[in-house]
Amino acid sequence: MRRNYWLVSATLAVYLFLYLPLMVVVLFSFNDSKLNAEWVGFTLTWYEKLFNNREMLRAAANSLVIAVISALLASILGTLAGIALHRFRQKWLSALVLGPVAMPDILIGVSLLLMFILFNFTLGTSSIILAHVSFCIGFVALAVQARMAGMDDSLIEAARDLGATPWQSFRLITLPALTPGIIAGAMMAFTLSIDDFVITFFTAGVGSKTLPLEIYSMVKIAVTPEVNAVSSLLMLLTLILISAIARLSPQVLRS
Amino acid sequence: MALPPAAYLVVFFAIPSAMMLFASFRYPGEYGGLAPWYYLEGGEFSLDLTLENWLRLFESDIYLNLLLKSLSYALVTTAICVIMAYPVALTIARSHKRYRDLLLLLVILPFWSNFLVRIYAWMIIFSPQGALTLGLNHLRELLGMEPTRLMFSGTAVITCLVYVHLPFMILPLYANLEKHDPSLLDAAQDLGASRSQRFWKITWPLSLPGVFAGAVLVFIPSLGIFAIPDLLGGTNGIMIGNVIKQQFVEARDWPFGSVLSLVLTAFTLALIGLAAKLGQPRRNTDSTSPKGKANAA
Amino acid sequence: MKKLLCCFALSLSQLALAEKTLQLFNWNDYIAPATVERFEAQCQCKVVQDYYSSTEEMMAKLLAGAADYDVVIPTQNAVEALIAQNFLQPLDKAKLSNISNMAAGFMNKSYDPGNTYSVPYAFTTTLIGYNETRFKELGIQADNWSVIFDPAVLEKLKGKVTVMDDSEELMAAAMLYLGYTINDTDEKHLKAAQQAILTAKPYWAAFNSSSYIKELTVGNIWVAHGYSSDMFQARADAIDAGRDFSINFALPVQGAVLALDNMVIPNKARDTELAHQFINFMMAPENAAELTNEIGTGNPNGAARAFIQPEILAIAAIFPDTQQQQKLETIAARTAKQRRFQNRLWTEIKVR
Repeated sequence: MRRNYWLVSATLAVYLFLYLPLMVVVLFSFNDSKLNAEWVGFTLTWYEKLFNNREMLRAAANSLVIAVISALLASILGTLAGIALHRFRQKWLSALVLGPVAMPDILIGVSLLLMFILFNFTLGTSSIILAHVSFCIGFVALAVQARMAGMDDSLIEAARDLGATPWQSFRLITLPALTPGIIAGAMMAFTLSIDDFVITFFTAGVGSKTLPLEIYSMVKIAVTPEVNAVSSLLMLLTLILISAIARLSPQVLRS
Repeated sequence: MALPPAAYLVVFFAIPSAMMLFASFRYPGEYGGLAPWYYLEGGEFSLDLTLENWLRLFESDIYLNLLLKSLSYALVTTAICVIMAYPVALTIARSHKRYRDLLLLLVILPFWSNFLVRIYAWMIIFSPQGALTLGLNHLRELLGMEPTRLMFSGTAVITCLVYVHLPFMILPLYANLEKHDPSLLDAAQDLGASRSQRFWKITWPLSLPGVFAGAVLVFIPSLGIFAIPDLLGGTNGIMIGNVIKQQFVEARDWPFGSVLSLVLTAFTLALIGLAAKLGQPRRNTDSTSPKGKANAA
Repeated sequence: MKKLLCCFALSLSQLALAEKTLQLFNWNDYIAPATVERFEAQCQCKVVQDYYSSTEEMMAKLLAGAADYDVVIPTQNAVEALIAQNFLQPLDKAKLSNISNMAAGFMNKSYDPGNTYSVPYAFTTTLIGYNETRFKELGIQADNWSVIFDPAVLEKLKGKVTVMDDSEELMAAAMLYLGYTINDTDEKHLKAAQQAILTAKPYWAAFNSSSYIKELTVGNIWVAHGYSSDMFQARADAIDAGRDFSINFALPVQGAVLALDNMVIPNKARDTELAHQFINFMMAPENAAELTNEIGTGNPNGAARAFIQPEILAIAAIFPDTQQQQKLETIAARTAKQRRFQNRLWTEIKVR
């Protein structure tokens, strides 16, 4: 293929478009000025302030706890769903599992709020977890289903021929083969949960603020570069997570 | 095997949706929430349901306008995404296998930063005291135009919408372009086709399913979004997501909020259905048969 | 770097050790950090704050299930609504020894006879904050609602105005501009107010109830519709930041909304004992005075006047004299029907 300079420069421009805003955020997190307007000097005060900001730390702790539990639950349920999707190919199951993935977040958030209130369920950390699991199941299921599609079914048949029970063949053959997919799905669920804003916005209760909600109220009320600092740290965290996912299962990223 | 996840999702997805449908026929509660749907007075059971929430949609044209505006924002965003995503997807698809994963990772990385951070970044860039606005207004003064404001405008909303959804367009498009057979283009070139002819008559039509897939992934979320118009939209950049949020938070009119949500749901389902139909692989696009070539061209 | 890691570890361990917490639901920028710290030292507890920037937002959150805050600071019409909803628990006056400090004029009001459920916290007026320097340049008088509603004036201020994202406050301002009272329930008048808002809307930058202090201080905005306490802070912030312009605020001649905020304890509060402790703490003269000195609120605490800086006492917008008080009104609690009508007008305002 001949090098098409127009194509290359257009591509470069888009990559720049993708990264420039984030670089601005990171840059100004080190800026010695309350405003995100012009560069004054290098400082780490915003990071210091961040670590002394109890509300922020509390929100970060909440986010982590919620993400871990959601990822765990979603992995279990999502794996089962993924296998079922692969085996049974029922339309209604597909719709049920992938529905929360396809629908705009606001619809899921609002309908869950409605249900929680009507059942007098006090909003709090548990309501957030229940909400997150419902949309994470779909992602894990997709990852597992993709993995199963690439798996060799004859292995299982061979095992059955040799006398293994369904549970044994599942435990000793299917599950290990699926493990990278499950882990990748779990990490994706973890990242989605930490990142989620809209659904958490509607289902959070007293004292169960997550990091995105905290950032939202900071952005609305008192925008100091502390927001830049927490954003930069979050980006670092997701960079680490993504590298891990990419190492484990590159196909998952494409789904 | 399917039972546990199915049961969970019925409880936490199907039932809430059904409740929202039911809620749309009730009156709003005295101070928010919903009013009871039946009254038991002296042994008399009376239903307290109403159609007025639905009728409100048609009372004036503002809700239709709101939907149209949201649709237009989503459409413009999708169009811009296609234009911006294509060069990138093409480059990655045609680059050496070694570099592809890296290039893809570079595309995905910004996407995995927190959603609000990405909006916040644009709030900084568009800020009236920021370099971009000042520079732009300087330019406008030189050209004899009045200074303008980038923040709190439809432009800001669309820019941010594009920014947030671009990876969703690049990835499916790449997945499609990667499968294209390069020998087709070589053959066309040998037969004397120019570069633009090769693109418009071969690459573009073959890539349409990928374009559609990406368009769906960009269009549907864009429709329901509220955080971006909330922070960047100002007085006029309101989309249907904002009004839904407003009904549930500020106005506390849950029945009407449910009505709007159901309208959005109906639209989303219709679009998904349409996309599923259009996105199905065309029969006989196999490039070796004459019929296939005709279909692909 | 090491310092940061130590800070991080220390704060995490602090979180683990913290036992008693007071969940406070308050307006943002409505309590001085120093006051919070002093209370935490006194009660050996932690105060966790959640904020709201409009009464609607607060009511929505409380009634949508987030009901177990320990102390909430609602405005008087919200108190009335919460009482009607059986949402609040009666205060145990035995635990509130400082209640004698409160000025009689603010106690035993119609929204809560005998102060069964609430005690006053602070009062503010909703008025116009403006960039004094720019207004002088443009030759505009700031003490008139026309600054926000009159297209002739707005021409010069296009894109530099924010109004509150609060249906009650903005409608009230529009009603005053048109010469009606804020509790006028005539639907024709309310529709006229809506029309005034829609006429002015194209000139406004945004609906903003939360960050207009910053926008004014930075100079992005020249006029903000907001609370007197916030404008007081904006003025101080601008001086602190060494800006080449000054911020000031003025009560419009047509009148303004007076809001009396109160401390209440929801039924489902987690730590009622601590809640009472906090309320009593806030009624002590030095603490109440700090609210005025740091935040710039009006003060219903009679004993606190001795501790308030005289220059703040002299500001008419914060401590209005009897003549100005005639023109101030409080927003009454609305019936469900009135609320629905107003909501519809508001949705239309936002959508057009």
